[in-house]
Amino acid sequence: MSAIAHAPGETIPGRKFRWTESAGGLALVVVPVAMLIGLIILPTLTMIWSTFQVPSADGSATHLGVDRFAAFFADDYSVENLHYTIVMTLVSCVSALAISLGIALYLRFSSGRIATMVHALSLFPLFVPAIIISYALVRFTGPNGILQLLLEKIGITHYSTPYLTPVGPYIGFVWESLPLPVLVLSAGLSQVSDHAVEAARDLGAGALRILIEILLPQLLRSLLIAFALIFLGVIGAFTIPYLLGPPAPEMMGPYMQRTLSNLLNPPEAQVQAVILLAIASIVGGFYIATMLRGQGGER
Amino acid sequence: MLSRRHFLISAAALPIAISTTGYAQDKKTLQVYIDGDTNISNWWNDIIRPAFEAANPGYSFNVTITRGVGDGNATIATRALAALQSKADPQVDYFEEIEPAAVAGSVEAGLWTELTEANVPNLKMINKAAIQTPIRLPYRGSQVLIAYDSAKIPTPPKTFADIVAWSKANPGRFTYGRPDKGGSGSNFVVRAIHEANGKDPSLFTKDSFTQAKADEMLGKAWALLRDLHPSTFGGGTYPAGNTPALQLLAQGAVDMIPAWSDQALQAMKQGVLPETVKVAQLQDLALCGGFAYSAIPTNATDHEGALKLANFMLSPEMQTSCVREIGGFPAIDWSNLPAELKAEYIDVIPVSIPTFPSGDWSKAKNDGWYKNVATNIVRD
Repeated sequence: MSAIAHAPGETIPGRKFRWTESAGGLALVVVPVAMLIGLIILPTLTMIWSTFQVPSADGSATHLGVDRFAAFFADDYSVENLHYTIVMTLVSCVSALAISLGIALYLRFSSGRIATMVHALSLFPLFVPAIIISYALVRFTGPNGILQLLLEKIGITHYSTPYLTPVGPYIGFVWESLPLPVLVLSAGLSQVSDHAVEAARDLGAGALRILIEILLPQLLRSLLIAFALIFLGVIGAFTIPYLLGPPAPEMMGPYMQRTLSNLLNPPEAQVQAVILLAIASIVGGFYIATMLRGQGGER
Repeated sequence: MLSRRHFLISAAALPIAISTTGYAQDKKTLQVYIDGDTNISNWWNDIIRPAFEAANPGYSFNVTITRGVGDGNATIATRALAALQSKADPQVDYFEEIEPAAVAGSVEAGLWTELTEANVPNLKMINKAAIQTPIRLPYRGSQVLIAYDSAKIPTPPKTFADIVAWSKANPGRFTYGRPDKGGSGSNFVVRAIHEANGKDPSLFTKDSFTQAKADEMLGKAWALLRDLHPSTFGGGTYPAGNTPALQLLAQGAVDMIPAWSDQALQAMKQGVLPETVKVAQLQDLALCGGFAYSAIPTNATDHEGALKLANFMLSPEMQTSCVREIGGFPAIDWSNLPAELKAEYIDVIPVSIPTFPSGDWSKAKNDGWYKNVATNIVRD
């Protein structure tokens, strides 16, 4: 996150690399790194290893194989859930990115009380737990909810509630996902110099042209980081799809939980988890690569 | 009932252990352990205690709430078992609700008192369907009912077929919760399973499960529920739990749902549901339900007092309170309760209280429902 708080290329003046400081820094990270390895990485590796253990027919021995993954992909219901999870995540990501880009652009080129209020409002979801959002959305968008009553007041009577359909969690995800990309994109936009924008404007470029040719190229890295942050938050979500989504298809979060605690089938839940982890790792790796490239390029 | 309680326990962010103490020294104070929901512990503290003290001068009890702490009452029972073996004071007289079989070795070690009419005279009034083993004392019940808006439905459904027929005539106005997310939806699915298999709950026991049987017997129920699927709220969007289902009824989004008796009756009493909402039980075969079972350890500190308390809980006075205060069902036969109470609840009094086994059958029911009823994937 430090690369977000400190924009790329920003160097602290008068600093040089010193071994003593480096040792002090290492001492600071050794505890969290040890905990990360002991509590997360090792158990994860053990779990991943166990999903490749296939019990023999009589259950007396195991051998390595991908049978359990093959079983997952042979099951239409599981594949449908995975497919739904990925599509839901991507659609939510793109929507949240588009909306937060709009907000960030507005904040970049506006000032005053309204801009401050918009900024505060866009960060508000950060402080609201998912379960509160979910129940609020049930009351707001649910059947005979506030939205429907308001629409009926102005004569729109064909309202169909998104509650318990895929649109329900989609609205929840977009709303809950807004603050981080707004922060990341605002930081990115603050790097774009006013001169570049003004120069383009003087040469007769319109707003759209400025956005596409001046702003977006410089924002690419921030967009990638924001995308990864939203993606990782949505793909493993539990509460929002549990409370707002349809019974089937299920997102992988509720599906894993149900497999584990209701069907009491930890091996199958592990396979689901490893598949989800693999997808998240691709995006996570991509996020780390983007961060490192940014830092390395500037040194 | 159990899964709902477990959900609440695991959902509690902060485990709470509250002990209320401070009674006059000359009184004999029984130690009662409760790990149920707040409505139960409040009922014991606020209603039962004063009544028990009035009926049994010189006696009182102290309630310790073990909800969300370790394994709740099972942890205390394990301690009592250790005390039995070491002949120490178990510091417990009464478990409000416990499953002795879940406390390993306790039944074999003789930790539990056999309760008969000889030591608990009021057992003569008990509803025989509730008795499982003499060491477990059923004292309050809860059953899934049909909650409906009487303004829209003048005559409630009496059979499962009535519900299906009404739903098809009024598409989108009936729904039930997902079976793994709460007992109300779960027991509606169970009722469909019973319906599809000759309305015979005895076919389903812990030992009767085989995969072939499950495929065949549950398959018939999936056909029944799949037929109902397009007529339910949103064309098959099933809410995720007991409360979300009640919420849809409260918001007027649906006119009929299956609901737990205690949750529905309490919601009606608190004004959460519209005044026109009423409850009814299916009359050909009731929806499932169950009882809360108390137990008394043989080494209870005040064994005689614990038996007095057990007898008191089965008195018509306390059984009436169970219906009035917590929306529960009596464990004694309705014939022993005031006639006006019976008249008031006539629509919900079941002819029988069917059950459905946990374990393999339950797993097959929940997973099968998701794969065969809820999903729109084309099946072969």
